[in-house]
Amino acid sequence: MQASSGMLTKFESKSSRAKGIAFHPKRPWILVSLHSSTIQLWDYRMGTLIDRFEEHDGPVRGVDFHKTQPLFVSGGDDYKIKVWSYQTRRCLFTLNGHLDYVRTVFFHHELPWIVSASDDQTIRIWNWQNRSLLCTMTGHNHYAMCAQFHPKEDLVVSASLDQSVRVWDISGLRKKHSAPTSMSFEDQVSRANANQTDMFGNTDAVVKFVLEGHDRGVNWVAFHPTMPLIVSAGDDRLIKLWRMSETKAWEVDTCRGHFQNASGCLFHPHQDLILSAGEDKTIRVWDLNKRTAVHTFKRENDRFWVIAAHPEINLFAAGHDNGVMVFKLERERPASAVYQNTLFYITKDKCVKSYDFQKNVESPTLLSLKKLGSPWVPPRTVSYNPAERSVLVTSPADGGTYELVNLPRDGSGAIEPTESKRGQGNSAIFVARNRFAVLNTSTQTVDIKDLTNNTTRSFKPPVGTSDIYFGGTGNLLIITPTAVHLYDIQQKKTIAELAVNGVKYVVWSNDGLYAALLSKHNVTIVTKTLEQVSTLHETIRIKSATWDDAGVLLYSTLNHVKYTLLNGDNGIVRTLDQTVYLVRVKGRNVYCLDRAAKPRILQIDPTEYRFKLALVKRNYEEMLHIIQNSSLVGQSIISYLQKKGYPEIALQFVQDPATRFELAIECGNLEVAVDVAKQLDRPKLWTRLSTEALAHGNHSVVEMCHQKLKHFDKLSFLYLTTGDNAKLSRMAKIAEHRGDFTSQFQNALYLGEVEDRIQMFKEIDLYPLAYMTAKAHGLEEECQSILEATGLTEDQLNLPTFGEPLTPPKPVVPTYQANWPTKATSQSFFEKALLGQVEGLSLEDEPAAANGLGEAEEEGAGKRDTLGEAEEDEDAAGWDMGEDIVAEVEEGFVNVESAEAGGAGSSEADMWARNSPLAVDHVAGGSFETAMQLLNRQVGAVNFAPLKPRFLEVYQASKTYLPASAGLPPLVNYVRRTVEESDPRKVLPIIPRDLEYLASNDLQRGYDCMKANRLEDGLQVFKGILHSVLINAVGSDSEVAEAKKLIASASEYVVAMSIELARRALGTPDAVSKNPQLVKRSLELSAYFTIPKIEVPHRQLALLNAMNLAARSKNYNSALSFANRMLANGGGAKILENARKTKAQCERNPHDTVEIEFDQFAEFEICAASHTPIYSGTAHEECAFDGAKYHTKYRGTVCVVCEVCEVGKHGSGLKLFA
Amino acid sequence: MDPYSAEGELINIHNHFHQGQYQEVVDFDVSSLSAENALPARVLQLRARLALGQAEDVLADVQGETESKPELAAVGALAQLALGNADAAVEAVEALAAGDAADNVTVQVLGGTVLQAAGKAEEALALLGRHQGSLDAVALIVQIHLQQNRNDLAVKEVAAARRWAQDSLLVNLAESWVGLRLGGEKYQQAFYVFEELAQAPATSSVRTLVSQAVAELHLGRTEEAQAALDQALKKEPGYAEAIANLLVLSVITGKSAEELTSSLQKADAEHPLLVDLAEKSDLFDKAATKYKAKVAA
Repeated sequence: MQASSGMLTKFESKSSRAKGIAFHPKRPWILVSLHSSTIQLWDYRMGTLIDRFEEHDGPVRGVDFHKTQPLFVSGGDDYKIKVWSYQTRRCLFTLNGHLDYVRTVFFHHELPWIVSASDDQTIRIWNWQNRSLLCTMTGHNHYAMCAQFHPKEDLVVSASLDQSVRVWDISGLRKKHSAPTSMSFEDQVSRANANQTDMFGNTDAVVKFVLEGHDRGVNWVAFHPTMPLIVSAGDDRLIKLWRMSETKAWEVDTCRGHFQNASGCLFHPHQDLILSAGEDKTIRVWDLNKRTAVHTFKRENDRFWVIAAHPEINLFAAGHDNGVMVFKLERERPASAVYQNTLFYITKDKCVKSYDFQKNVESPTLLSLKKLGSPWVPPRTVSYNPAERSVLVTSPADGGTYELVNLPRDGSGAIEPTESKRGQGNSAIFVARNRFAVLNTSTQTVDIKDLTNNTTRSFKPPVGTSDIYFGGTGNLLIITPTAVHLYDIQQKKTIAELAVNGVKYVVWSNDGLYAALLSKHNVTIVTKTLEQVSTLHETIRIKSATWDDAGVLLYSTLNHVKYTLLNGDNGIVRTLDQTVYLVRVKGRNVYCLDRAAKPRILQIDPTEYRFKLALVKRNYEEMLHIIQNSSLVGQSIISYLQKKGYPEIALQFVQDPATRFELAIECGNLEVAVDVAKQLDRPKLWTRLSTEALAHGNHSVVEMCHQKLKHFDKLSFLYLTTGDNAKLSRMAKIAEHRGDFTSQFQNALYLGEVEDRIQMFKEIDLYPLAYMTAKAHGLEEECQSILEATGLTEDQLNLPTFGEPLTPPKPVVPTYQANWPTKATSQSFFEKALLGQVEGLSLEDEPAAANGLGEAEEEGAGKRDTLGEAEEDEDAAGWDMGEDIVAEVEEGFVNVESAEAGGAGSSEADMWARNSPLAVDHVAGGSFETAMQLLNRQVGAVNFAPLKPRFLEVYQASKTYLPASAGLPPLVNYVRRTVEESDPRKVLPIIPRDLEYLASNDLQRGYDCMKANRLEDGLQVFKGILHSVLINAVGSDSEVAEAKKLIASASEYVVAMSIELARRALGTPDAVSKNPQLVKRSLELSAYFTIPKIEVPHRQLALLNAMNLAARSKNYNSALSFANRMLANGGGAKILENARKTKAQCERNPHDTVEIEFDQFAEFEICAASHTPIYSGTAHEECAFDGAKYHTKYRGTVCVVCEVCEVGKHGSGLKLFA
Repeated sequence: MDPYSAEGELINIHNHFHQGQYQEVVDFDVSSLSAENALPARVLQLRARLALGQAEDVLADVQGETESKPELAAVGALAQLALGNADAAVEAVEALAAGDAADNVTVQVLGGTVLQAAGKAEEALALLGRHQGSLDAVALIVQIHLQQNRNDLAVKEVAAARRWAQDSLLVNLAESWVGLRLGGEKYQQAFYVFEELAQAPATSSVRTLVSQAVAELHLGRTEEAQAALDQALKKEPGYAEAIANLLVLSVITGKSAEELTSSLQKADAEHPLLVDLAEKSDLFDKAATKYKAKVAA
């Protein structure tokens, strides 16, 4: 029999005697009714008293939670049954009727009913919805001590001091109350009549069975949740088990062991166990099947009065003389071990299984450990030895045992271990391939054993050792209640010690560098040499932990999965609806075992902790990746970044302008701050910005702020300090306009304008001051005039002695022209990185990263140089803001900023190249280099000279010259093809001779040339078409297809015409006819002329030409074939007539005199360069633009058709439409 | 009272000037003007004569008076510029700008013109920035901004001027210049302004006609643009701007531009179009040399 130390107490309360207990079905709450008339509501997880309910008079003996409603019921010695709402925290109503103490009260699982048992010997059923008594069940002839509904059937079981247990059938009651409409009137009448036979309505509930067997009063009785079993506890100190069928019930067995009155009993909700509690201060656990005692938990001083089970979770509660205790019978943590991608774990029925993380499959049972320890005690730990493929399992049974067993190669069902080595020990773990350590807490020894279970060495661990864990190779981590020791097995001594209280588990990181020490409420992370890295506290119990590959510890509490970084930064990853034990994290999956020892996969979002980790490791690339790819926003991450001193990064996440401003100020990013301030335009922000900018020395921002705020005197002073006298005089004028004399005077003072000041004094009749000023500056004339004006003489004046006249300092350096060189703001790197400006972020450790930062800044500086003008523009834009403000003040004039100007911007033509991927737009924009680059890439263009006219034409077409101010060159404006568009990022230039124009003009001209036999001209026209299409743009995909057609057609014409021209170049017909070589070539070329796919009427011309030539050279066979083709094509009557004649003539003698290389039946194309056939199937090259074919030897030459592209050079294809 | 305002004496001559009716300016009867307006009127007439190409006469005209009157000194500088002595002109203007004369609006406007023409945009803006409500200066500033491609600043300048000079000719013109840059709906608005000026006999001039044509060209109405340009060339056959824009128009409509190129060459060999084209032609030749076929044919 197991000692009571095996009980796992989760919660204990101190109070007066607890008589009734009820678990809340969902929340971690327990109701306790006390002998002192109070009802307490406890949170047993947090250990806090949530509420007290005190309306009963005298002891409260029964309580029960409603399953779904926020209600509970109680019954007490004041004969009352009270129904309460725990939400409103008050008693809703009281059910009166019982005539003596109420012993128990229970809700029905689905109907709005309450059953109560009372010392008045009745059991009553109440409807709590209409607050009425439904039924009074009489029959017991002593106190009814307990009555409960059956969890499924219409049965009630009751126990009474009359030594009987009764089972009542209440199906009549259900029929009557829950389905009244299903009864006919007659039924109701008959039922009513039937009821009349018994004035108490007893027909609604009839006694089904009376169970007699106890020979003292029965205190408690309970149904089994699923089986037809009943358990009862009586003053005869016995626990009796009863079984019932439809028709009868009988006693099964008796559990003997209590040596005082047994006060409560119940069935274990999930296991074949019975629990009972008694006045002998014990809780006893019995095997339901064998009726033998499994456990006895003894309490020193307190008699147990009641016991209850949680409906879902493996928790029990017992009430005793001094309060309640909530406990578990056994540990629910499944023993498990992870090795690489495999999890080994022991199921509830004590089978060893493995789980493959990669395949997500469970293995069949590898091994059964049924015989290990006692049947009701699950193994505590398992340790895996991959070398031997064996496991070391410990069990707390019999004072602690371990067993070393080999796993079979493949599991094939419940295999009993063939050979096992076992021994006494509380903890046992592998410490090396062939060694394991066993801790025996009672003798306080650690034995190192070999695989044959022989002790090789033995030592005394530090005092109070409670557990041992693997401590790295050759080391043990020895756990005592107050400290953890790192123990060297070889040297037999502690090499490091760390004071940590109550460590229960140790989890090593995957790389073996860190370990997490888990205690009930703390996680302490240590290095492998047991130096503490960080520690954190949780109010909720910590259950388990596992490391992810990047060195983040994920741990689970009762209801959350959380993470902590090595530096102790932690947060919640997700909530848990049931307690699980983490074993592994991989990507977004957390693998864990639930309390039923089933492997489960939880999905998590690791973004937050990965981001924080990247931040800690300064892994900017990873951070960028995360920022760009996930929606990592939210107040928490922003405040985290701010708190951690990364306001510049937080800036990237913030949209809210107010927060942005705060962050920008914090990280000194004035640029952003100015932007936001402009956006919000609140005086407060400008004030703050001016302070901050002043601290930076960025006086142009300060100036803007003052302008915004209309702080004229500050502005004046700023101009004084920056030496900007021009603006200072503007300020004086502004002051004049405002009629602000003080300000005007101030400005005059700053400017050193004595006359102005004197004038001012005079204006406001302060002649003495005016006189003094004049006098002090030695302006005697002025003095005289003042004296005259005032009618005084100098003698009448009493003047003090004058010092040196006041002169404002002259500016030495024109500070106002530029800002102080301010330090590049620290975030520039990150911002640039975000903008994709910094390439090749270094992934190295910190110093390297710092270098990276430096480089980035340099790069930034470089950019600044090149973009200097652009930045000035921005400043200028800032100035202009001020301009507006002052202008408003001034009714449209005085322009403080008038001297300021921006540099040149980029013209619209520059925009075109930026806006478009088309070569033509680059040409129009004058960016010939990039246009050429594009063409080279697209179609392999290499010889641009022929394109020059087209380039210049396109370039010219897009600019107009608007005469503006006399004496200046005209204003250049940019003609667009997007006339409606005004967004500078979308505008595109006009293209002369667009596709439509080419098709309706140039193409026709080309055709005309063909018809008129002006082949040289035609050749130029078609080449021109090719060039024009090459540098062009179209408006749709269908137009792209049209353009392709035009290119193909023009190309065919160029080839055809050049063949014929080549033939004519052979010489005059007379010259040719004298040379057989030339005759042959001439005939061949005329034949090839018929091959290109030109328009049919034109082909007819070619065929006619070839036919005549062939006929003349007596090549009748060829001529015949040409004639046939002509006839097949049809067309003009004159040509056909001609063909027919030739055909007739040739048919008489279908025979060729001159052998030529022309097979009228073969399929071939003409090489554009050599004008020889390329038979289909032979290798050839093409021009990527016009598609002209070439023999392979021409690869790399310039295409003779377009004269631009390189033959055989493949590009991405001509782009005409973006 | 502002002599250029609607009731002012100089309104007509001033408008003639800015509408490009230079001959009308020269022929304007100035004898009836009050004494204080005599000089500004004279300056306008001198400027008109400069625009008509009588730079040498103008230079001779102001000779001897430049010392006493900075306005005339500025006119002199402008004449120097027109004669191609840019350095001398800039020198003169810089001397004026350094002294008290910098606050003289004529000096500002003419000096700004000289400086901008000499490519010293920043200095020009600095000088013009000192103006005290001169629309001439505003228009010039707008033009300089546009030439610098700072459309944003030009827009701002016009908007500011709009506030205090509601429907003034110069503001309308400047706004139209900006509008032709911005495009979209602004094209049409600019067209209305130019058309109104170009088609009313009292205000029509080659300049306004060309401006109207340019607006039409931008709007894609090539035929109307052609008509306007023809009209302008009929008025003044050698007007370079008209030829230049007609050249552009012919290119757009796919016609040969050779003849026009040579006539432009004749009219103004230094026209930006020609200069630019020559530059781009060189650029093309230079860029084209980077590419070569692998195998010479």
